[in-house]
Amino acid sequence: MDGFTVTIWVVRILFLLLLYLFLFGIARALLRDLRAAAREPTLELGRLVVVASPAGEPAPGSTLPLDAITTLGRDVNNAVVVDDEFVSTEHAVLTFRGRTWYVEDLNSTNGTFVNGSPVDGVAPLGYGDEIQLGQVRLRLERVRR
Amino acid sequence: MNADGPSTPAAPALPRILGPIRPRPRWREARLLAVVAVAIVVGSVSLALAQRAPDAPPGGLEPAEPFHLAVYLGVLFLAHLAQVLAGRRTDQILLPAVGLLGGISLLLMERLPQNLVVQTLGDTDLGLADVQLVWLVLSIALATTLAIVVRSDRWLRLYKYTWAAAGVALLLMTFVLGTEINGQRLTLSFGPVSGQPSELLKVILVVFLAGYLSENRSLLVEQSTRVGPISLPPLPYLAPMVAMWAIALGIVVVQRDLGAALLFFAVFLLLLYTATGRPGYVVLGLILFVVGAFVMYQLVDHVRTRVDIWLDPFADPSGAGYQVVQSLYAFARGGLLGTGLGGGLPLISGRLPIPAIQTDFPLAALGEELGLIGIMAILGIYLVVIERGLRIGAAARDDFRALLASGLALVVGVQAFIIAAGNLKLIPLTGITLPFISYGGSSLLVNGIVVGLLLALSDKGVEPPPPPRQPGRLARLARRAAG
Amino acid sequence: MMNRRPVSRSIAHVGLTLTVAFGVLAAGAGYWQVFRSPDLTSAADNPAVIAAARNVVRGKILDRDGKVLATTRRDDNGDPYRVYPERSVSPVVGYSSRRFGTAGLERSYAAELVGLTDPDPIRNLLKKFETDPSDPKTLTLSLSLPLQKAAVRGLGSDRGAVVMIDPRTGEVLALASTPTFDASAIANPATEEQGFAAARDGAGKPLLNRATQGRYVPGSVFKIVTAIAALGSGAISPTTTFPNQSRAERDGLVVNGFRIREHKGVPVRTFDLAHATEVSSNVFFALVGLKTGGANLTEYAAKLGFGGDIGFDLPVAPSQVTNGNGDQPGGFVDDVELANASYGQGETFVTPFQMALVAATVANGGELMRPHLVTALTGRSGTRTVAPASLRRVITQEEAAAINVAMVRAVEGPLGRQFTPGADVPGMTVAGKSGTAELGGSGEPHSWFIGFAPANDPQIAIAVLVERGGRGAERAVPLGGSLLKTYFDTVAK
Repeated sequence: MDGFTVTIWVVRILFLLLLYLFLFGIARALLRDLRAAAREPTLELGRLVVVASPAGEPAPGSTLPLDAITTLGRDVNNAVVVDDEFVSTEHAVLTFRGRTWYVEDLNSTNGTFVNGSPVDGVAPLGYGDEIQLGQVRLRLERVRR
Repeated sequence: MNADGPSTPAAPALPRILGPIRPRPRWREARLLAVVAVAIVVGSVSLALAQRAPDAPPGGLEPAEPFHLAVYLGVLFLAHLAQVLAGRRTDQILLPAVGLLGGISLLLMERLPQNLVVQTLGDTDLGLADVQLVWLVLSIALATTLAIVVRSDRWLRLYKYTWAAAGVALLLMTFVLGTEINGQRLTLSFGPVSGQPSELLKVILVVFLAGYLSENRSLLVEQSTRVGPISLPPLPYLAPMVAMWAIALGIVVVQRDLGAALLFFAVFLLLLYTATGRPGYVVLGLILFVVGAFVMYQLVDHVRTRVDIWLDPFADPSGAGYQVVQSLYAFARGGLLGTGLGGGLPLISGRLPIPAIQTDFPLAALGEELGLIGIMAILGIYLVVIERGLRIGAAARDDFRALLASGLALVVGVQAFIIAAGNLKLIPLTGITLPFISYGGSSLLVNGIVVGLLLALSDKGVEPPPPPRQPGRLARLARRAAG
Repeated sequence: MMNRRPVSRSIAHVGLTLTVAFGVLAAGAGYWQVFRSPDLTSAADNPAVIAAARNVVRGKILDRDGKVLATTRRDDNGDPYRVYPERSVSPVVGYSSRRFGTAGLERSYAAELVGLTDPDPIRNLLKKFETDPSDPKTLTLSLSLPLQKAAVRGLGSDRGAVVMIDPRTGEVLALASTPTFDASAIANPATEEQGFAAARDGAGKPLLNRATQGRYVPGSVFKIVTAIAALGSGAISPTTTFPNQSRAERDGLVVNGFRIREHKGVPVRTFDLAHATEVSSNVFFALVGLKTGGANLTEYAAKLGFGGDIGFDLPVAPSQVTNGNGDQPGGFVDDVELANASYGQGETFVTPFQMALVAATVANGGELMRPHLVTALTGRSGTRTVAPASLRRVITQEEAAAINVAMVRAVEGPLGRQFTPGADVPGMTVAGKSGTAELGGSGEPHSWFIGFAPANDPQIAIAVLVERGGRGAERAVPLGGSLLKTYFDTVAK
């Protein structure tokens, strides 16, 4: 076996090894994600009950799950799509920070209300409180175990 | 609850949801891209060594065509940088995986004789690798642009019938106006530019199906028509399924494109199952497929030829079965480790042993040069792309996005499966391309669109805000003591 | 948003399906790249073999005594070309020409002669790492050049074939086909045009290997196959007689309205297998065939190698008992065809090679050994020998012994001597069967002989065919006898 043949085969095998190194790196990243997801089970932070919804979207009486950040508005890309003529495209956002829920009005045309009082910027929201966008009323509730 | 506002200090600066762009590091993507870059450089060095005369002293270990290499790696780096600057939390594995596939494609095109394809631009002649590099760059640029720019899926979600109409129009245009190559009407040419609309059609099909199925999902899941012991989809919804089947058969007969027909029907069936979760639909679809295939075999000549060649290509090894036989010979020559990049594909009277190797048989060439070990790695990379796409679908916010992402992943994965299986004589050979590896502008651009859309869909949105910082133990005790 | 869970479950199922599908792809790749790799890379039309053959000095081909049958010389440019000193082996050895490709053993052993592949898979893998990986092998054949030359000389200007096999091992000692062709003329670049034209267009199609590719009506030699099927399936025993036989001998045997006539010289009486073979009675064997049935006849023929790929070093055309178009058991159209086939007419077509295997099976006590030409492959890495192997047992030792006795009578018996003169070898008992294959119309029939010797401990089996040679006794039988004698005079020392 001469030097050239050795070199070229070392390089060739190195190439194949690098392909597997890439796959290995991905596998490791996937495992890490899986372990992270397993370690922090998703807490159900809260949910919205639809109290009143004259237009029917969201369905009255239904319960909507909430993420740490939940957008509300008329646009289809919102997490909660509210189809009401008095609701803006991007109307409000509900966030969970630390241990409390907050609702933020996104400069909507007709405003957002918590238990009847208008929201100016950010306002805290408690379990049992009702928010209103346009003609639609939603109540924040705890998740029962 | 306090009415005077949050007890935590200051209205926390909440990053706006659709707010200004803030750069964010993407370490995982960077690490993977580094491995990709090193792999491609090493592959290029291996190619250069093979292309040198065997008795020349191994002076330097320089890569083949360093210019192509630099451009390609530069584009990958720029794509990474662009996504870092855009700051969206999109998937970090897709771009490196696709980048590696593209790099392997580039190495393969470098290795093949450059005069297989010649495009003249002004007074320069561009060879095979040059043209492929151009398309790769455009494809990655397109994918990155879509990943950064596409924020809303409204334009896909709301206009599904428009999309369907556009798809049908495209199909009809190809039927009527297409140029015939090898008996297949697949290409539309407008002046110097030509493309294969069937590539774009598969994306349009997925968009339409995602919209249609997500809209009618509950109906399809809950209702059914019973025919004896079998439950079929509700009759009004059975119609589109049969229509889909009929279109697939039409494509086979009129366009003689078995690969596209198979791809469309398979993707349709898999998306139908994803949306409804009812295996009965898949069984029905498979029955339709078997019946259709049998009828096609009896009636249509070119289908019969393809199936006969598949069953025994060695019966006519220098005539009809030549391509498949040579493909199998190539795999056999590769063995476990392959012959090394540039070391395989012995010429017959100065020509490559496998015709149309850069479009239809890149896997056979890679099988010969990288061996079984290399092929398994490449199949692994495709599985990674599919897995990412399906995971984006599983984590999606609503049904439309879930089906869209899954469908896009399937379109790449099923296509790769079909052509790989054809090269390996597991199913009859079809003329579709191997995504990201085959030569072909339309294929690369459309697959770039697919990856771009997947990246856009994978945006995890804004990070959940961190919980407000707890004051230290002592400070808490102090506060409690104070009141 | 309600049914999000089930969608992700379906997605998981789809993901699993695709993973399994890709697993199948990987298995498929493994099949072609590892499992089938050795035989695909040895195929003569594999571009790697063709490319390597251009530059590599191919290995030699030698007969069993080491005489050179194929070697390489260099022309003025230094390019190698093949030379074949012995014309008589041309159908076996074939040729290797840059322009006209390969034929014969040069074709079927192209990869080994060029040294591309190694039978040992580990060495094959390590071969990649060597600077000069090619290791051309020298083939040693079981062929005996003196026997081969004698066979070709004996056939003379007639078209025909001779196959001689050692029934104990399956080694082929002679495989002659006339007319021969000049393989050296084809392989030499200076003369390749004329050489190939002469071979391709010459009278009698010299490029056709009649021993392995010629399919002929067998005539009475097929009766041995019928006997094998009849005894093996238990339809008859060595002492079975048919009550209606003597009348049928006189008047002919009527089968479904078709009258089978006996040939001249057969006594009008009832007799058993041994006697029937001695006089080559058509009527007896027709009766035997009808009693055995088409299914058994085709089944035992298949055990002897009919209809399939025997797996020999050269391609062999499959022999057939019937076209198989009929609905009757075994594929016969009706009893008439079955009866005709049983005495060697009808739709039977055999190669001389196949009939030699029939004789070898009887000679070896009913066990068919795998026929082979190549006995050793020698390279830089050492020698690999090909050991004798048994293909299968066709009939029991007793059944074979009964046919042995019958075939001895055919050559040495009082009536046999008249039908098969010239087959005997002084000092030993020869067993055999002659055949006269009527072709219909005008023209001489084909002349056949199969046999083996010595009958009590057979060492050599033979099949001889002379096209249009007249009755069996005229050409094939004496040639068979003389070649058997040559064997015992030269090879068996």
